[in-house]
Amino acid sequence: MYFEIDAKVREDKGLCLLRNETHKFAEEVIRPAAKKLDRMSPEEVVAKDSPYWDTLKEMKKMGHHRLFFHRDYGGLGLSAAEAHIILEELGWGSVGLATAIGVDQVPAGVASLFAMGDIIDNLVIPWAEDTEAKFHGCWGVTEPECGSDYILATQESFLPHVKELHCGQVRADKQGDGWVINGPKSSWLSSAPAATHVGLHVTLPPYDSLANGAFCIVPLDQKGVTKGKPIDKLGLRDDPQGDLVFDNAYIPDDYMIIRPPFYELRVGQILCLTSCFMGTIFTGLARAAFEEALEYSKSRIQGGKPLCEHQTIKHKLYAMFEKVESARYYTRKVMEHVWEKTYIEGTFDASSRHALSAQIYGKRSAFEVAYEALQVFGGYGLTKDFLIEKLFRDARAGLIEDGTTEVLGLSAAYNVIAEY
Amino acid sequence: MAIFPSKQWVEAVLEAAKKSENYKEAAKDWEGDFLCIVEGDEEFLRELGRKEVMQGFMSLMDMMPVEQRAKFKGTPAGNVFEKLGIPLDGSIKELNVDELLNKTAKLSAEDIKGVSIYVWADFWHGAVRDMAPMAPGEHEDAVFKLAGTYSAWKLMVSGKQDTIRLIMSNKLRLQGNMSYMMKHMKAVVLLTKEVFAGVPID
Repeated sequence: MYFEIDAKVREDKGLCLLRNETHKFAEEVIRPAAKKLDRMSPEEVVAKDSPYWDTLKEMKKMGHHRLFFHRDYGGLGLSAAEAHIILEELGWGSVGLATAIGVDQVPAGVASLFAMGDIIDNLVIPWAEDTEAKFHGCWGVTEPECGSDYILATQESFLPHVKELHCGQVRADKQGDGWVINGPKSSWLSSAPAATHVGLHVTLPPYDSLANGAFCIVPLDQKGVTKGKPIDKLGLRDDPQGDLVFDNAYIPDDYMIIRPPFYELRVGQILCLTSCFMGTIFTGLARAAFEEALEYSKSRIQGGKPLCEHQTIKHKLYAMFEKVESARYYTRKVMEHVWEKTYIEGTFDASSRHALSAQIYGKRSAFEVAYEALQVFGGYGLTKDFLIEKLFRDARAGLIEDGTTEVLGLSAAYNVIAEY
Repeated sequence: MAIFPSKQWVEAVLEAAKKSENYKEAAKDWEGDFLCIVEGDEEFLRELGRKEVMQGFMSLMDMMPVEQRAKFKGTPAGNVFEKLGIPLDGSIKELNVDELLNKTAKLSAEDIKGVSIYVWADFWHGAVRDMAPMAPGEHEDAVFKLAGTYSAWKLMVSGKQDTIRLIMSNKLRLQGNMSYMMKHMKAVVLLTKEVFAGVPID
């Protein structure tokens, strides 16, 4: 296990135990399942007898599906350091399965932060207490005609531009005591083919802007919902993705969790949480790739000596080490900030530029490290005999998943210009 | 323990705001008054049946001069006052509370439909410059208006539920510059946690 530079974490026996236990879980449960799922067809991944479900249940037994829940409504009440340690280890095991448990908490987790009343007792608490994967969530943001751009709706200064981009395809209309939802979400919804509920972004009448939107929870076991075929993709194959189409789907009013005038600002804060999440799990991937390369470079003999004794490889190993370490401590620091604003102060005014940059930095580091790590393996790195091949594909997918790094950067830039 | 809403509660809130250094610091840039609209509901009707609540409510009404109270005439609240025998154009100090309670017991949920109590608070740079009950139509131009049922307000002022969750769940309805409020969330949170919840409610 790596040397922890932060003495507050290193000298805390509880945190060290948590790190070791979660690492063991990632090594013995997550990574073997992820390897199996990676080789399966998308249909097999979501089938009833798939290791996806067994792993999800095991993760739920560990409480990983409620890391982001409010402590008074099913949350574990973890510190930022604890959450960060768990997430880095999960990402080390598999960013695909870590993503699956991440999006799992979007519907009920967001409700735990902002909702009150019956939905807490009827959905949020049962969700938090579920260890059999009876509930499984996904996050419905992007649409066929509006991809990562959707997140720009959270930047007020972007509004005129957002209107030019799109006004949203999935729309909600108030009817009686509830809402009727129509329209398609894109094929990139993580875990959608396997989910029971979606945390869904919709636009509201007069449908003039993505910013005039709302976040709601939609149960997917109803007539008005069609799940698309899980897509066959390059990376993150252990997390099934597919589209959702709504045709007069119905939700009661209390399932409409965030509505105007809070939508823009609150969604920006949800993105702060998810950005920390993504930045951290991809730091885990970066570390996994680095460790694979380091180990290989010590055992593989070339030119009469181990690879690691060659000058070029030493340079690569150092550069990878530097990236992994800086990604860990940057994402952890940002998570501490977001955690404080969300769970301790409850002010929900975290700095979005920092959260977004944590996500971008984590993902970019993961790709750069996986790229160099694969290079250390030479031709073997291209074969399915070595984990690095999967890690590289997953890292590449990460540059697009949960918002392309370009759009995330653009969003952060607006915040830098407006509020630095 | 204070009764919400009452003169004692208003005074205690003003005192709590003066004492909370955290609130003063967080709200040092805040400029904006609030018109709080407490709508009568079944819980309010039930609570009014308690002697101390009725006394508290009457103390709040007594904070208003006669000419201000007269503005309730013809409003749903004014109609209820008339049913209870509370004069809108005279002194209410001498009223017999037991009689008021007897008359309140005869009120139905239908009677209090549309009844609202108004409290105006002027928050300015970390201080609460003024806080007082208002008559309908007064301070309509407040920077923020927060409306909700008595039950929802009680959840908030007792600190049992945070303001933002109540607003986002539509239990409290907020009008005003939302961006401004979001930029001062710490002040809003501390106002609830340290100022309002700092006054224990009976």
